[in-house]
Amino acid sequence: MKEDTHPSVVVPVSPVTGSADPITGSADIARRAEEAGADYEVTLKSLTQWELAWRKFRNHRLALLGLGILAVLTLAALIGPILMPFDFASIPQPDVYVNNGRSPSIAHPFGETGGLQRDVLMLVLNGARTSLFIGFSSMLIGVGLGTVVGSLAGYLGGFIDNILMRVVDVMLSLPLLFVILVAARFFANVKDNVWTIVLIFGLFSWMGVSRLVRGLFLSIREREFVEAARAVGVRDRRIIFRHILPNALSPILVAATLIVAGNIIGEAFVSFLGYGVNPVNPTWGNILTNALAFIPNGNWWWPLFPGLAIILTVLAVNFVGDGLRDAFDPRTRA
Amino acid sequence: MAKYVIRRLVQAIPVLIGITIVTYSIMLAAPGGPASRFASNPRITNVQRVAFIKAWGLDQPVPIQYCRWLGLCNPDGEGLALLGPTGWPNFLPEGISGSTNGLLHGDFGYSIDSGEPVGPRIARAALPTLILAGFALTIWVTVAILIGVVAAVKRYSKFDSAATVFAYAGYAMPTFWLGIMLIYLFGAHLKVLPVSGMIDTRASPPFGSDAYWAYFGQTPVTALIDLGRHLILPVFTLVVVNIAGDSRFVRASMLESLSQDYVRTAKAKGLPGRVVTFKHALRNALLPVVTNVGLEIPFLFTGAIVTESIFSWPGVGRLYIDGIRNFDYTILMGILFVTAIVVVAANLLADILYAVIDPRIKY
Repeated sequence: MKEDTHPSVVVPVSPVTGSADPITGSADIARRAEEAGADYEVTLKSLTQWELAWRKFRNHRLALLGLGILAVLTLAALIGPILMPFDFASIPQPDVYVNNGRSPSIAHPFGETGGLQRDVLMLVLNGARTSLFIGFSSMLIGVGLGTVVGSLAGYLGGFIDNILMRVVDVMLSLPLLFVILVAARFFANVKDNVWTIVLIFGLFSWMGVSRLVRGLFLSIREREFVEAARAVGVRDRRIIFRHILPNALSPILVAATLIVAGNIIGEAFVSFLGYGVNPVNPTWGNILTNALAFIPNGNWWWPLFPGLAIILTVLAVNFVGDGLRDAFDPRTRA
Repeated sequence: MAKYVIRRLVQAIPVLIGITIVTYSIMLAAPGGPASRFASNPRITNVQRVAFIKAWGLDQPVPIQYCRWLGLCNPDGEGLALLGPTGWPNFLPEGISGSTNGLLHGDFGYSIDSGEPVGPRIARAALPTLILAGFALTIWVTVAILIGVVAAVKRYSKFDSAATVFAYAGYAMPTFWLGIMLIYLFGAHLKVLPVSGMIDTRASPPFGSDAYWAYFGQTPVTALIDLGRHLILPVFTLVVVNIAGDSRFVRASMLESLSQDYVRTAKAKGLPGRVVTFKHALRNALLPVVTNVGLEIPFLFTGAIVTESIFSWPGVGRLYIDGIRNFDYTILMGILFVTAIVVVAANLLADILYAVIDPRIKY
C-alpha cells in the first residue's frame, strides 16, 4: 500500500463460496468506496485455501519459531557431518581410553565423551542427520500407508472397510513396545540398521492416520461437491485424488507432525532399551544411551546436548503442528 | 447398568483370547529363544541344550505350546493331547481332569529364566510398582488439576504461558534423558539423594523379603524415610514427564466448561467468582478428567519401563524388559495377560464412573 501511489485494498474472498466474505462484507466495502467516490481502488482478490492458511500460519509466532528451528536443524544435519565427519572405525586417540571426558572448551564447545574421547558436537551433528532422517522418513511411510488404508476403507466402505478396520484394531491393541522390540530382534544381525528402524517405526505409526483419514473420507464423500462430481461422471480415482484428498490434507498434516515428534522420542527410547540404531551411525538416542555407562564420572555434557537436541526438535515440530492446526481451522481468522 | 457391565465383560473375552494368541505367535516367531543364552557358553553341551528345550516344551509346534500355556492341552501327553490324565478334557478343574497346568487352571507356569512360579514373581514385582506408580499418579493428577484450573481461569496470563511452556517441554522430554540428568546431578555431584533401588542395601534387607518386613516392623520410621528418599527422583521424573498431557487436558476441559451458558448464568445472577469457578465450572470440567484418570489406572500395575530401569526399581516394568531380553516367554505372557485384564477393567471402570458422576449418561 505504501509504495503504491494509487492505494488499493486487498479484500480476502472466501474460496468456498467464491463470493466476497459475507462477514466483513467486502463487496459492500467496494460498493461503498465507489459510492463515496474514494480516490483509491478496491481490488477483490480471491485467496486460495493455501494462501489463507499461510496468512494465518504467519501470524502464529511459535509456529514460525518452530519452522525456523527445524530449518536450522535440517541445515545442521546436512552441513554438519560434512564439516565434522564421523568415522566409526577411526578412534581419535587410539592409545588412550580415558574414563573421564573433557568438559566443554573453545575447541570442543560441547565437550568430549569419556571412553573414545569423541567430540560431542560432532556426535550431535551426525546424530541430527540420522535422527531427523528416522523421524521424517518413518513419518512418510506411516502417513502414506495410513492414508492409503484409510482412503480405501472410507471410500469403498462395506466389507473392505470392515476388514481393514479390524486389522487396525488388532494392531492398536498389541502392546506396541513389545512388538517393536520383537521386530528389532528380527534384524538384530543387520549392521547398518537405520532403515530397519525407519521401517519398524513406519509400519507401526499408520493406524491412527488410517482411522483419521477414514473418518474424513466418510464425511467428505457425502458432501455436495463430491456428489456433483459423481453426477457429471467423474471417475473414482479422480474423485479421490482431486476432490476428497485435498480437503482431507490439513488434519493429515497435523497428525504427521505428531508422528515425527513421537518417532524421534521413540527412537531414543528403543535405543535406551538396547534395540536401536547401532553405534556405527550415531543418533541422538544412542549417544544418550552410550552416556549411561559413564554416569559415575559426572560428564554431564555428554547426555545434555543430544537430549537438548531431541527436546528442541520435538518442541519445534509440535509448534509447527499447532500452527498448522490453527491455520487450517476455518473457525480462526487470519 | 448391570446388563451393560455383563455385556462388556462378555465382549472382552474374545478380545483377551485374541491378544494372547497374537502376542504368543509374535513372541515365538522372533529369532533366538530361551536356549540362545547357551550359545556363548562352552560348558553347556548340546545334549544339555536339547534337554533344556525339551523340558520346557520348546520343541513343540507353536499352537501346541500355546495350547499348553492356555491349559487346553496336557503337557505330559504327545502332541495335541486334549485329555487330562483321568481321561476327561484337560481344561476341566483338577478334581475332574487331574491337570493343573495352564491359564484355565489359574496357572501362569514357571519363569523360564529363574524357575520361579510366574504368578508369585509378578506379585513380588507388583508392590514396588504400585508404590512408585501410586505416588507418581496421585501427585501428577493433583498438580495437573491445579495447574490446569488456574491456567484456564487466568487464561493468557503469565502463569498460563509458563504452564504452557512447561507442558510442552515435559512432553518433548525423553523420560530416560531426564532420569540420566537427575542421576548425573544427584549421583555424581550433589550426592544427597539415592539414585538407584528402593532401599539402602547397607542398612536394610532386600525389599519384600521376610527379613525386610521384620526390619520394617522394628524400625518403621527409618524404613519409611529410607524408602521415601529412594522414591523422590523416580517419582519426580514420572511427574514431570506425565504432568504435561494431563494439565493441558484439564485446562481445555475447564476452558470449555467456563464458556458454557450455565456459567454465564451463574455470573449474571451475581454469584461470587470463586463459587462460579469451583462449584459450577470445575465440577463439570472434572467429568472428562475422571475418565482420563480412569484410563491411566493400568499404569499402577504395568509401571514405567524406562523409569524403573533407570532407577533400578524392582517393579513390573523392569521385569517385563528383563523378560524380553531373556526370552522369558512365561513371564512375558503373564505380564501381558494381566495387563490386558487390567486395561479392560480400567476402561470399563472409567465408563461406569462416568455414568455414575454424570447423570446425563445412561447405558
